[in-house]
Amino acid sequence: MLEKYLQIFKISLVQEFAYRLNFIMWRVRNVMQIFLVFFLWNSVFSDPTRMVFGYDRGKILTYVFGILILKAIVLSARAVDVAGEISRGDLSNFLLKPINYFKFWFTRDISSKALNLGFAIVEVLILFILLKPPLFIQTEIISLFGFLVSLVLAVFLFFLLLFLINLVAFWMPENSWAAQFLFIAILTEFLSGGVFPLDILPITVQRFLYLLPFPYLMFFPLQVYLGKIVGSQMFGGILISLFWVLVLAIGLNIVWNKGIKRFEAVGR
Amino acid sequence: MSKNAFLSMLMNRLGALVFLFGKILRFGFFIAFIVFLLKGTNTLAGYNLNQTLFFFLTFNLVDIVTQFLYREVYRFRPLVVSGGFDLVLTKPINALFRSLMGGADILDLITIPPLIVAVYFLGMSLNPTLVQIFLYLLLLINGLLIATAFHIAILSLGIITLEIDHTIMIYRDLTNLGRFPVDIYKQPLRGILTYLIPVGLMVTFPAKALMGLLNPRVTLLSLAFGTICLFVSLKFWNYALTKYSSASS
Repeated sequence: MLEKYLQIFKISLVQEFAYRLNFIMWRVRNVMQIFLVFFLWNSVFSDPTRMVFGYDRGKILTYVFGILILKAIVLSARAVDVAGEISRGDLSNFLLKPINYFKFWFTRDISSKALNLGFAIVEVLILFILLKPPLFIQTEIISLFGFLVSLVLAVFLFFLLLFLINLVAFWMPENSWAAQFLFIAILTEFLSGGVFPLDILPITVQRFLYLLPFPYLMFFPLQVYLGKIVGSQMFGGILISLFWVLVLAIGLNIVWNKGIKRFEAVGR
Repeated sequence: MSKNAFLSMLMNRLGALVFLFGKILRFGFFIAFIVFLLKGTNTLAGYNLNQTLFFFLTFNLVDIVTQFLYREVYRFRPLVVSGGFDLVLTKPINALFRSLMGGADILDLITIPPLIVAVYFLGMSLNPTLVQIFLYLLLLINGLLIATAFHIAILSLGIITLEIDHTIMIYRDLTNLGRFPVDIYKQPLRGILTYLIPVGLMVTFPAKALMGLLNPRVTLLSLAFGTICLFVSLKFWNYALTKYSSASS
């Protein structure tokens, strides 16, 4: 059974290279976005001894580079195509096949993440050589373990969130792109800490945001890595992340079952 | 043409509303970021909160007005690939005008007036003189001229190479680097972004002019650069047309 998902992984990887220019431009754009954020914080921390929002220069620039890596691991996904498959009626093909639709897309997501991670590592190395930022290296085993656990949960969290948004296509086949734009391009980008670290916001706003799933995609894992969230706070955050994974998994199952009942395969 | 573009957008009202809400939300998030950042740091590259916000609003004004006017550029590739561009060439309307401005975006039209009001009130809070206001408006128009030249060049490149989508996204990513004053970048990147890929000329210089931070020589050079850009891009468009080979006939 694992064999078929391995084949899906390999085919998905090859498919990414079918549109090489697309992929390379996507990576170039990711790097350019990092440039803005890097120089912004570099300017803020032009005095290397300065501490702002609990960050020193090393930690904030590590955060910026960490975002480049975590975007590849957490936010790279092929499941954005699910809505299109539902709208076009192509979902019918998969319903007839002996393959779990969720596992199929999760496998495709993993292949996309693997490819993007490979490129992100090279980009970070090049940027490191060019920009020479002081990076923070975590050495505490517990923090590293907490970081890895929260990262794994973040991967599942984003998959479930993205898939759930895509299922809007069952009810609104023409407008699923708008839901993706709002929830993925805007809300996820900002509330996951992808544009700025969330701890620059007032504490009351942060407390509210920590109740939502978004900060656990990138911000929380990075805070654990940087040692800014430790001990019971780290444990509590991991539990909240796990809670959201369970809630979204159950929600996805419910929405999927409802959506499948009204699926008409329009266009096939 | 604009009326048709507006009507086709209004056919998908819910999607348009959600998209508009998303754009306003993104704008709000960036404003919140700047406000809370400057609360913690007091200055950014030597600029205070109002100045930094003004740079950001000016960037948005140039960016949104450009997207409003030239949304049709995003639909140019299918036109060339399918051969539909032949029909544009044969019609009694300037092909460049049609390809550039044939589909104004109603969503951006909604966001422009409040943005202009915000720019006005924030700009006035910086206590500019009449000369500084005049220079701001002049350099703003210059920024739009440079953006126009960029879009014409993208269309021309699209005719020759059939590649537009990535070029336009690179353009958008480069101009996004002007969200904050280009002073935050270190040399040589600052020089590149100011003069080579003239993001600084387009969005930072108008705001600097209002604040009285731009010397007359640089102002004149910017205006000359904008004019030259437009002239060269028009020449490039005419050259690209000679290279057009229709896909249909």
